[in-house]
Amino acid sequence: MAPVAYFVRRFLFFLGTLWAAVTLNFLIPRLQPGDPAEAIVSRLAGQSESIDPAQVQAIRVMLGTPDGNLFDQYVQYLGAVLHGDFGISYTYFPYSVTHMIGQALPWTVILVGVTQIISFVVGTLLGTWAAYRRNSRVDSVITLGSTFLGTLPFFWLALLLVYVFAITLRWFPERGGYGGGSSPGWNWLFISDAFQHSVLPAVALLITGPIGWIIGMRNNMVQSLGEDHTRLAVARGLPRRRVAITYGARIAILPNVTGFAIALGGILGGTVLVETVFNYPGMGRLLLESVSSRDYPLMQAIFLFTTIGVLVANFLADLLYGFLDPRVRKVESV
Amino acid sequence: MALLEVDHLSVTYTPRDQPANRAVHDVSFHISEGEFVGLLGESGCGKSTLGNAVLRLLSPPARITGGRVTFDGVDLTTADEEKLRELRWVDLSTVFQSSMNSLNPVIRVHAQFADTFAAHKVPGDVTERATELLELVALDRRVLRAYPHELSGGMKQRVALALALALRPKLVLLDEPTTGLDVVVQRGILTRLAELRRELGFAVLFISHDLGTVLEMADRVMVMYGGEIVEDRRAADMLREPRHPYSRGLLGSYADPRLPDVRVSYIPGRPPDLSRPHTGCLFAARCPHVEDACRTTHPDLLPDRHGLVRCLVAQSDRLPVVTLGSADAATTLGSHFPATGTLDRPADAAEAAPVLTVTGVSKRYTTRRGLRTSSVEAVRDVSFALRPGVVTALVGQSGSGKSTLARIVTAVERPTSGEVRFTGDDGTDVRVDRLRGAALRDYRRHVQMVFQDPFSALNPTRTVAYALSRPLANFAGLRGAAARERAAQLLESVGLAPAGQFLDKLPHQLSGGQRQRVVTARALAPDPRVLIADEPISMLDVSIRAEILELLGDLVRDRRLAMLYITHDLLSARLLADEVLVLNQGVLVERGPTREVIGAARDEYTRLLLDSIPNPFAKAAAG
Ligand SMILES: Nc1ncnc2c1ncn2[C@@H]1O[C@H](COP(=O)(O)OP(=O)(O)OP(=O)(O)O)[C@@H](O)[C@H]1O
Ligand code: SF4
Ligand SMILES: [Mg+2]
Repeated sequence: MAPVAYFVRRFLFFLGTLWAAVTLNFLIPRLQPGDPAEAIVSRLAGQSESIDPAQVQAIRVMLGTPDGNLFDQYVQYLGAVLHGDFGISYTYFPYSVTHMIGQALPWTVILVGVTQIISFVVGTLLGTWAAYRRNSRVDSVITLGSTFLGTLPFFWLALLLVYVFAITLRWFPERGGYGGGSSPGWNWLFISDAFQHSVLPAVALLITGPIGWIIGMRNNMVQSLGEDHTRLAVARGLPRRRVAITYGARIAILPNVTGFAIALGGILGGTVLVETVFNYPGMGRLLLESVSSRDYPLMQAIFLFTTIGVLVANFLADLLYGFLDPRVRKVESV
Repeated sequence: MALLEVDHLSVTYTPRDQPANRAVHDVSFHISEGEFVGLLGESGCGKSTLGNAVLRLLSPPARITGGRVTFDGVDLTTADEEKLRELRWVDLSTVFQSSMNSLNPVIRVHAQFADTFAAHKVPGDVTERATELLELVALDRRVLRAYPHELSGGMKQRVALALALALRPKLVLLDEPTTGLDVVVQRGILTRLAELRRELGFAVLFISHDLGTVLEMADRVMVMYGGEIVEDRRAADMLREPRHPYSRGLLGSYADPRLPDVRVSYIPGRPPDLSRPHTGCLFAARCPHVEDACRTTHPDLLPDRHGLVRCLVAQSDRLPVVTLGSADAATTLGSHFPATGTLDRPADAAEAAPVLTVTGVSKRYTTRRGLRTSSVEAVRDVSFALRPGVVTALVGQSGSGKSTLARIVTAVERPTSGEVRFTGDDGTDVRVDRLRGAALRDYRRHVQMVFQDPFSALNPTRTVAYALSRPLANFAGLRGAAARERAAQLLESVGLAPAGQFLDKLPHQLSGGQRQRVVTARALAPDPRVLIADEPISMLDVSIRAEILELLGDLVRDRRLAMLYITHDLLSARLLADEVLVLNQGVLVERGPTREVIGAARDEYTRLLLDSIPNPFAKAAAG
């Protein structure tokens, strides 16, 4: 079966969903009642005062809120999206949305991206080990331990870390992405400062991150180790490790690979909880602020980013899956 | 010393949420170098468990609770992992019950051979060796580059066999190596296996519930019942005079469909529940020769006429004597069990006006593979008629188009050309291939199906009463107490009496045969005119197949149903059907009254199908 057909089909599907997501992102805010320009004027002027229509018009021009019928707007919007132009943020006026996202994105990508990758690797290895030694002590410690950690509320855990290591022991800063003494740039002072600030949020993410991968990997692998082809591999006298890796883990990891790619895609949305607790200047906090202050352009752009991130990740996961699991190519293309 | 010695081996399953199950109990036997031994018994009697215990592949909740397995002087039950690994495959290999899943789905066939050679440090070129092995089982070397899912069932089975022979083992354990395969494919594999054994001289433990196959292939046969071996003797002796009543019952379910008078018997009842304690003979509840002593004394496996048997009556030589000619062996053997022969039909049936007429029907499937499209003609210019009170068998190999025709007749699919007409009781005439909406729904109540797999045809979480209430509500508008009453009548009409015992049972509380009866009752619920039975007995145990056939035959006669019986099993077609249609690659190659078609097949393909049926009696007659 030609795998090319599979990949082409996945790509077309990806383009289709991407277009749909972009279009929905355009339509949904426009279906809401109310005029964004009026909203911003009332924000600027303070909630209660009456609004001067001329002022509204001025703001509208400044924000670049499009006129014309829906179709013209749509075309304009597509053009703007292609250029990465999402207009001006209401909250951080006069900064553009793109600027704000550009500021927040690296923080999240580095913190969450790195911890996600570590979580996945560690989780998969621990899960594999637990399954390899299933029903042994090691297995119980790993499975029960991670189940226990999984039941702790993340919020509580994060606050505990802050309390112990920042407030009591004063080993790490309590909040923020960098301290007052440094300013962002490629200098040592800033990098070490940012690193110090990232330790606690990273630890919080690393405690909870691997749990899902551990449990998923262990259960999948216990299952694949019980299957006929694995039993036959044992009967064939294959060394135990070879059986565990090629016949157990190799198959068990498949669903997790997809899950991982999607998780990576989700990074762009940030992790609201951790960024809020640690007051970390990433996408999650930006999203929270945009929502609470009804900053539509910003919100819309973040949602679009997140959707695109997930879609791209999904597409890559599909490609990877098709590459790792020959069965899929067949099923899909018949 | 024999090659394999099993001494007083017992295996128990101890699942967490269920009572412990003594699946294998005190089993002892030997296999000598080069010997071909068959292990026969119905589903759940412990064959695979015994096989896995011999291979030391049992995993929790199964555990060896007693006894020893010695292979070539090595005690497998206590050997350490490394010792075992050296012996595995080099001396002792296997083909699993379902080779469908016994190859790793994500690596190529080549890699699975390479793994095997590497594990035992076999020098030389993998491709070259693997190609030779594939040639042994008549497979092309291109298979090496394939992933398992790209191979057909028969091909996978051959790959598994080639793999089993890769290191020239001394003993190969084959667990139902051909079950579920087409008769013709099965024949091919068995023939090849017999040749290979002659060439290579390995010993075989051949597990199967298919008595025809085992008796034909094996030097010696062991019969297992309820986790115990109940009879062990040479195949030829077993054919001449089986000594255990259960063996007799099994043998009675086999017959040569070509004989002028064909009768098969069945063993009523169910195997014992091994999670409960038993005193006396485990077979007592189903045995036609049972005596008082049988219920209190558990018989031992004792020598008896060059073999071993576990039966009090046989041991004291009071079992009725049977002398078997080769021709009507089954008839005689079956005589102590309920038996069913070719079923009588009212004489006028053949002249009755057809209910369903299929004229010149063709079906073309177009498949898109990547950018290319190809089309297959699944059925070509087929015509036949179904009449009330008549069973028409549609036989053919898998892929011959049988199920496509079934889908066309039940209006699940439309033919590409040709027409299907249905004539109702009131003389109305409808074009089935043009039906839609309400008319289609109305038609479906007249044409019902009984499926192959009674295990998946019923929702495991719903009671029997519920399963029957659905069609009663949909087609007959019956609800509540009225529906329940009708459901009870239906159950009794399929032999599940008293119905009260079955209405509130869940599918898993029923045996395979009982489930198939429930499925049949459900098909009868809308009071159909036509019944399409697609391999209704192929998933059932041999010992109960005849029982379901008899039920279907009775229903056709009593309710004047028209029935299309789809099968690749010519023996059951011979028993049940009045006329036979032989389908080969979508074309009807032969048709006519059953006895003529099967007794004196003219078409070459029909003869191939007939020759593919395992026939132990032919072997007995020849040697
Ligand atoms: N994992 C399990 N847990 C509990 N009981 C089991 C398990 N596997 C099998 N059994 C029970 O052990 C008994 C023997 O099963 P086994 O698979 O050996 O039968 P078999 O003769 O090979 O049947 P078949 O012809 O259907 O393959 C059955 O009663 C079955 O229900
Ligand atoms: S011991 Fe009795 S019940 Fe058991 S098989 Fe023999 S005759 Fe039948
Ligand atoms: Mg089995």
